[in-house]
Amino acid sequence: MSKVGAVIRREFIERVRRRSFWVMAMLGPVFFAAIFLAPLWFARGGGLKRIAVVDRTTTGFGLAVAVGLESTRGIFVVRRILGGPGVEDSLAREVGARHIDGFLLVSDSLFETGAVEYRASNVSSLEDIALLRQSLGRVAENARLERAGVNPGVVARAQVPVTLRTNKITRGRVTGESAGQSFALAYFMMVTLYIALLLYGVQVMGSVIDEKTSRVVEVLVSSIRPFQLLLGKVLGVGAVSLLQFLIWGVAASALIGRRAVLEGQLTDRGQDVGQVFQLPHVSLATGVVFIAFFLGGFALYSAMFAAVAAISSTEQEARQTQTPVTVLIMLAFFSSFATLANPESRLALALSLVPFTSPIAMPARWAAGNVSGIDVAISFALLMLGTVAVTWVAARIYRVGILMTGKRPSIRELVRWVRA
Amino acid sequence: MPDPIVLLDHVTKRFAGHIAVDDLSLTVPRGVIYGLLGPNGAGKTTTIRMILDILQPDSGTVRLFGEPGGGRAHAERIGYLPEERGLYRKMRVLDVLVFLGEMKGVDRRRARERAGEWLERLGLADWRLRRVDELSKGMQQKVQFISTILHDPALVVLDEAFAGLDPVNAQGMKDTVLELRGKGATILFSTHIMEQAEKLCEQLCIIARGRKLVDGTLNDIKRTHGGQHLVVGFDGSTGTAAQVFADPRLVRQLVASGARLSRFELQEASLHKIFIDLVGPVRGDARADEDRP
Repeated sequence: MSKVGAVIRREFIERVRRRSFWVMAMLGPVFFAAIFLAPLWFARGGGLKRIAVVDRTTTGFGLAVAVGLESTRGIFVVRRILGGPGVEDSLAREVGARHIDGFLLVSDSLFETGAVEYRASNVSSLEDIALLRQSLGRVAENARLERAGVNPGVVARAQVPVTLRTNKITRGRVTGESAGQSFALAYFMMVTLYIALLLYGVQVMGSVIDEKTSRVVEVLVSSIRPFQLLLGKVLGVGAVSLLQFLIWGVAASALIGRRAVLEGQLTDRGQDVGQVFQLPHVSLATGVVFIAFFLGGFALYSAMFAAVAAISSTEQEARQTQTPVTVLIMLAFFSSFATLANPESRLALALSLVPFTSPIAMPARWAAGNVSGIDVAISFALLMLGTVAVTWVAARIYRVGILMTGKRPSIRELVRWVRA
Repeated sequence: MPDPIVLLDHVTKRFAGHIAVDDLSLTVPRGVIYGLLGPNGAGKTTTIRMILDILQPDSGTVRLFGEPGGGRAHAERIGYLPEERGLYRKMRVLDVLVFLGEMKGVDRRRARERAGEWLERLGLADWRLRRVDELSKGMQQKVQFISTILHDPALVVLDEAFAGLDPVNAQGMKDTVLELRGKGATILFSTHIMEQAEKLCEQLCIIARGRKLVDGTLNDIKRTHGGQHLVVGFDGSTGTAAQVFADPRLVRQLVASGARLSRFELQEASLHKIFIDLVGPVRGDARADEDRP
């Protein structure tokens, strides 16, 4: 129908013309990159502690400590000082003047009971402290082994750690995807779905409230059925969201295409990037599931947002009234973490079948676990049913509400509108 | 007799707690300017909304152009200017007009042409690419009026069309209404300002509290409801006047008194007076929520 087409076109063109759309298009990839890459970037730098070792040992063990720490990446031993009166105070002053980051008070007790003290301007970095403790532990361990007449090299060989490589099997095939990648992909999809559902649902709400407050709606519904108007709106905003995803998708694939370069630039400690974060592979099927559930969820939630706008008289009022809908989306998002933790659990199964949570939970489960095509189809069918039912109710509220002004209707009035 | 353009047959509309329109029947013939008059809260807007298919009557029927189907089915032939005006504030003037034209079934290119012509004609050509909210209120009203008639409707429905217009714009709208009427369009407009109705309408219906009080041609209504009044104008002191009016043989006396007569005419009551007589004093509880569906 050409009138619905006109509504779709208006929603689409007016939105894509806005500067905010392009800001989102540009910022989206930056934002997502930031979410995932920031930890890498922040992990870089730091480290490299300049510390002094105060040797109070009677056995010269302090020297072994200094040498041992020296070989630890990220720790730089400035000097070793023999303990004596006033040494601690003068070192404390050096810390104050930022010449050194801190100093270690090593006594015989390190060797015997493992007790050692570190004084520094910053003792709250768990990572640094852990590193220091680990290194000291190794030095002490080696010293004790040597005293017991054991060759530390033998022990080291005996302790070569197990490297467990994870490889996900999806629908009977080995995907070459690690646990980290599955998790990252599922997490990424959840965040994106959550933000997109809110973002575009609220846009439908804004569009309805705009027509209502400007009273344009009165002219519109004399020419087009309220349901057609609502349909055109949802499809128009939906098309905008698809364009947005397309732009993001292209940006993301460009990003993933240069993963090696990116990973190299973002880490400089030679650490295994894969352990921090792995850019996931996105298959076509995953893309289809993502888009299908997004569109289903968008239709479901935007119908509710439209109803919210229809019963509100101003934008402020709509923002208050929308709370139940936004809470529902938040619930879907946060409960979907359960599917990340265990994609096979009953809870994950339930969440991925219930229409209100499935738009986020199902794609997450799909990415994180081994979900059959049948499961996805059933979930999607339920989502469609739910969307039709919710849209039916919402459209009836919308139909009456858009012509209302003044007081917000009570629940009882809403029920009457729906039954009418 | 050709089918009437609008035919309301015993139409009733109830809202929670009150009857907005009560068993209303009216006929708007082709090619007339028809006034729907009534005080605030009389049910004018509700009646218009039922004609336009925005609301459905609880009972009774609405028939347009002598054909089945509600107002929406005939949207291509109806132009509607609602009481509460408004346009998409963030859209460009031309885009708004094209979109609203499309809603009325005009194709995009044609809508663009027509909008351009009208903007030119009403002196808004330079504003076509500006956003609506950059326009003054008067200009916005012009734009909205263009959107009402862009598709050359056979029936133009104007709800309180002249409310809030400055005299220049009001005159401009009146001229356009008369021009449309000259081209064969039927105009249905509601107002609570009788002077306007008296100047413009040929037929009218007065409603109050949802009920019809009277309808027919302006002349008939004046004849049957207004009574007649004699206006006499002459020179002379007020004492002379008192003397003259005290005597039943008025005219003879007038002539005999030697007064220089300047005016002697039979005058009908104004529509305003008829309206007040029929509707009665303004009720304190005139419903403000007339537009509540």
